[in-house]
Amino acid sequence: MVSKLAESLPQILSVGTATPPDRYTQEEVLAMFDSVDPRVRGFYLNGHIKTRHLVLPDPVNGRREPESQEALITKHRRWSVRLGKEAIDACLSPLGLTPADVDYLACVTTTGYLCPGVSAYLVKEHGFREDVHRIDVVGMGCNAGVNTLQPVAAFCATNPGKLALMLCVEVCSAAYVNDGTLRSAIVNSLFGDGAAAVVLRTGSWVNPPGRKYGPRILGFESHTISDAMMTMRFDLYEGKLSFFLDRDIPYFIGSHVEKPIGRLLERFGLKRRQIAHWVVHSGGRKVIDSVKYNIGLTDHDVRHTLSVLRDYGNVSSGSFLFSLEKLLNERVVKPGDFGVLMAMGPGVAIETALVQW
Amino acid sequence: MLTLDVLGYEEQGNVATLQLGHPVDVAVIRDLQTVCAYLEDESKSDVLVLRGNAERFCGEIDMRAFDPSRPLDIHGFHKWEKVLSWIERIPKFTIAVIRGRCVGAGLQLALVCDQRIAAPGARFRLDEVSRGFLPGMATFRLAKYIGLGRARSLVLAGKQLDAVEAERWGLVDQVVPAEGLDAAVSSLVAAWTPENAIALELARRLLNESYSIQYEEFIGNFLAAQHRAITSERFMELLKKAHSE
Repeated sequence: MVSKLAESLPQILSVGTATPPDRYTQEEVLAMFDSVDPRVRGFYLNGHIKTRHLVLPDPVNGRREPESQEALITKHRRWSVRLGKEAIDACLSPLGLTPADVDYLACVTTTGYLCPGVSAYLVKEHGFREDVHRIDVVGMGCNAGVNTLQPVAAFCATNPGKLALMLCVEVCSAAYVNDGTLRSAIVNSLFGDGAAAVVLRTGSWVNPPGRKYGPRILGFESHTISDAMMTMRFDLYEGKLSFFLDRDIPYFIGSHVEKPIGRLLERFGLKRRQIAHWVVHSGGRKVIDSVKYNIGLTDHDVRHTLSVLRDYGNVSSGSFLFSLEKLLNERVVKPGDFGVLMAMGPGVAIETALVQW
Repeated sequence: MLTLDVLGYEEQGNVATLQLGHPVDVAVIRDLQTVCAYLEDESKSDVLVLRGNAERFCGEIDMRAFDPSRPLDIHGFHKWEKVLSWIERIPKFTIAVIRGRCVGAGLQLALVCDQRIAAPGARFRLDEVSRGFLPGMATFRLAKYIGLGRARSLVLAGKQLDAVEAERWGLVDQVVPAEGLDAAVSSLVAAWTPENAIALELARRLLNESYSIQYEEFIGNFLAAQHRAITSERFMELLKKAHSE
C-alpha cells in the first residue's frame, strides 16, 4: 500500500548503464603508457581497480601515439552520444518506455565540452520529442549527478505523471593526457568510461513483474569546501585540458563528510543506523576509506561502491548510479528502507540525497 | 531514563552498569538493543560495565525459546549477532565483570567487550556444539584471543576453563578476588581516561579489522582513521594543552 505522501514524491523507476566494448586491466593500460616509474606503477596496481572500460586509439607500429586535443574532443562527442543512447535504452526499454515518452531530459558530462550539448544530439538522433524540456550540466565533475538530480526531482514534483530522464555520461578517456607527468598518471590510472541513466516520475506507477523499483527522493543536502577548491581542477597545459587531483582530497572530504550527512539525517529525524543502504560514489580507494572511517560505514555498506571501483574505475558522475543498479539487482531492498545517495567532486563538493523505498 | 523488560541498568558518574544474568531470549535481545541506542544517542557515560550475578555472567540461549512444532529459522540468531556487534562497536569503553558460569551466550557476549575481569570462581565454556548447534560468531572472534588450537579445545572438545587458566590463555585480562571486583573496575576506569573518544572507537575498529585484510589495504584504513583522530576538536585541545605546558 503506497501512502498519499509517498505518491507525492518523485521516484526513480529504473536505472540503466552502458560502457564501451573494450575492457582493459590495469596492467594493460600501464603497458600502453610505457611507464617504468615505480610510483606510477603503484598508482595503477595498488588502488583496488582491476579493470576499466576505455576508448583508446589503436596502436601504430606497436605504440599508442598521444591523442591531440581535437581527437579527444571528437572522441568525447562520438562516444558520449553512443554510450548515452545505450544507457537510456537499458533504462527505459525494460519498462516498455521509449525516449518519446520522456518530458524532461537532463544530460550531465564533465569529460568534454560540446555545443550543442549531448541532449541536442539525443533529440536529433534518438527519438526524443521536439517539445522535450532539456538541460545540460557540463563541467561540474563527479558530484554532478546528485546535483542534477535536484532539478530533475523538482520537475517531477511539480509535474506529477510526467517522466524525467537524467543521463550521466563520461568519456574519461577523452580527458587523458599522455604527457609523462605524475599528475597525469594519477588521473589516467583512476578514471573509466561509462554512462548511466535514471528515469523518474511522481505518482503511482507499476513496473513490469520482476523489475525492481528505485527509491523515492525525500531531500538533498549539499556541502562545498571552498578552502579546498583548487584541489580538483582542469588546467590548460600545453594546449590540452589536463585534470589535476591533489593528494589531500580524501582527507578534505573525510573531515567534512559528517556535516552534510548530519544535516540530512537530522532534518528527517533519522539516525545513521537507520540508513539501510549507502550508495556512495566510487571516487577512489582512499576517498572511500576516508568516508568509511568518518561516518562509520562498514565494507558491507560500501560493497557496491568498491565493486564498481574494482570493475569500472571511477566513472565520474554516473558512478553512484552504477552502485544503485547493483543494489537493485541484489534484491535485498525492502519497502520502507532508507538510503543515502552520496557523490563527491570538484568544488570541493559533497552532495547527498535521502531516499526511501 | 530508559526502561528495560528484564535487565537492570544504572548510571553513576561516567559509568553505566548493565545487570545481566538472565537466559538469552527475545526480551534480552530487545533490552540490549534499547541500551545500545540509549548509550549511542543520549548517555553521557564513558564506560559500560556488564555484570552478571554470583551464579552466572549471562544465561545461555534458552532451548525452550525454540518451538519444536514449527520449522526453525535463523533470524533470531541473526538478531543476537547484530546486537553483539553493536555492543562491540559502541563508543564507550566496555568491561565484562564475570563471576560464576560464563558459558555459551555469556562467553559470546564477554568476547565483544574491551576488557574481561573475572573472580576466581568464574568458569568458561562453549557448550553449543555438544548441544547440537554453533557458538555464534565466537567462532570468528575466539581464535583471535587464544589461537586456533586452543579455540578448537573450547569449541569442539567443549573444554571448560577456570578463571586462572582463562587468564593464562588470554581469554580474561585479570583475575581478582570476588570482593575486589568493584575496586578493580574502579581502578580500570580511573586509569582509563577518555581523552579522545574518537580515538578509542577508531583504534578498536582497526584492531577488530586487523586479522582479515592485507597490509596494503589496512594502511589506507589506518591513514583515514588517523586523519579523523588528529583533526578532531578534542585532539586540537590536547595539542594546545601540550604546547602550553
